[in-house]
Amino acid sequence: MNGRLKWLSPLLIAITLTAVACNNNSDSDYSLVSSDNLTVCTDAPYEPFEFQDESGNWTGFDMDLLSEIASGLDLELDVKVVPFDGIWLLPAAGECDIVGSAMTITPDRQASTLFSDPYFDADQSLLVRAADAGTYDTLASLAERNIAVQTGTTGESYAQDNRPEGSTLISFDEPAAMFLALESGDVDAILQDLPVNGFRSTQDDAFVVTETFPTGEQYGFAVDPANTGLIEAVNEQLSGMRDSGRYDEIFQKWFGS
Amino acid sequence: MTAARVDTPQEPPPGGRRFRVSGDQAVRWTLYGGTLVLVVAVAFLVDWERLQSQMFRWDLVQAQFPGIVTQAARNTLIFTAFGFTGGLALGLVVALMRLSSVAPYRWAATVYVDVIRGLPALLLLIFIAFGLPIALGVRIPGTYGRGSVALAIVSSAYIAEVIRAGIEAVPKGQMEAARSLGMSRGQAMRRIVLPQAFRIIIPPMTNELVLLLKDTALISVIGVTDATKELTRFGRDGVVANANATPLVVAGLVYLALTIPMTRLAAYLERRAGASR
Repeated sequence: MNGRLKWLSPLLIAITLTAVACNNNSDSDYSLVSSDNLTVCTDAPYEPFEFQDESGNWTGFDMDLLSEIASGLDLELDVKVVPFDGIWLLPAAGECDIVGSAMTITPDRQASTLFSDPYFDADQSLLVRAADAGTYDTLASLAERNIAVQTGTTGESYAQDNRPEGSTLISFDEPAAMFLALESGDVDAILQDLPVNGFRSTQDDAFVVTETFPTGEQYGFAVDPANTGLIEAVNEQLSGMRDSGRYDEIFQKWFGS
Repeated sequence: MTAARVDTPQEPPPGGRRFRVSGDQAVRWTLYGGTLVLVVAVAFLVDWERLQSQMFRWDLVQAQFPGIVTQAARNTLIFTAFGFTGGLALGLVVALMRLSSVAPYRWAATVYVDVIRGLPALLLLIFIAFGLPIALGVRIPGTYGRGSVALAIVSSAYIAEVIRAGIEAVPKGQMEAARSLGMSRGQAMRRIVLPQAFRIIIPPMTNELVLLLKDTALISVIGVTDATKELTRFGRDGVVANANATPLVVAGLVYLALTIPMTRLAAYLERRAGASR
């Protein structure tokens, strides 16, 4: 070997070893934005699916499922809070590995993202002030009234298609502002996913759910369409949790019965 | 005029210039070269095809029109116009209160400015839209109404400080001279001091106007109807509807089409005001 290039060989060996080590780190065929973490994009707080408890730990139905999935894959859960609109585009943009944000599987979204198996059935519902429960008992009773929806959600589309004549849809960025608007009388009803309205009505006597709309909607986690390995791993973990009864435990923790 | 004064002493003696590259020039050319290399490198690194398909799809660009102008930009301008007019009126009152010889006026104005300026515009919007009705039963009707009032209150605190600085920049002698001619304090303020102050504050006031125009993007937090969507909300909804970022890019371009003429106009006014001095 040429003496002058001798110093190169240890360097080459070092580089090769590092490369091998990196490859070994993820022994299955999916890619992650940060190698030891399952990075989740979520629009939080969205009780009871994703929010932080008093001590700042992530909790909720989605978060519980995802942390089980992460530990099943030997990863740490890392949560990134983002706005909901366009959230399903973020894995492909390299923002995170997976979206876990009480997101309904729709054909539109499927065009640009890869969904896991459904993990939750969600219907739409109407939340009103308890004092108005008699007056606004159905969507049809809200003619000439203001109805709050969250922008970019399936609740918004449902409201657009089914709202009574003369009613006004007011779209908000997030549920927190919608609850404030209902409280302040700015709107007379909130139309959004039943679990969210339902959880709020159990926490707060001022609001009641008056009508539910079965829509056959199902929630799914979503990843970059190129990352098929990750979705397979997630689906495997999900079905494992259903078999072991762990899924039912988590479900009961948040929704009872 | 200032430019000419600064440049003259740096002019090198005739003849010597062609052969000598001064240290300043070497640094400057290195910077030019470095910038060029950086621009070329970025141009090569960027995946233009992907960038265009994700952020500037031509069919989606066209689909934004005319709604993004006739509806979204119109609403942005309505919020800005009401917000700025209200902010100007309120700000002038607060500025005069801060300069008042009556101590309680000064205190009240100082507290107002400190509190409003110390709170994020987003929180103020939420307080005004939802806090007022819950706490006091005061309801400002309509999204236009609430959005404009909230933006007027937010901007008034900043505008008050700008106006105060402008008034204080007018030499005391102006007020004294006007008073010695027999004008009352109020007359002297209206006819002599304020016109001069407003000329001084054209540049910072333009700043406030542009900031306010961009702050209209926050209004969607208090809820908007289809009819009252401003540019940012319009763009974001477009992103959701098309699963593509193009509408936001178009919204950004429309913002620039609104703000750049505004700042150019202000620069023109500034030059004209300077010339009439």
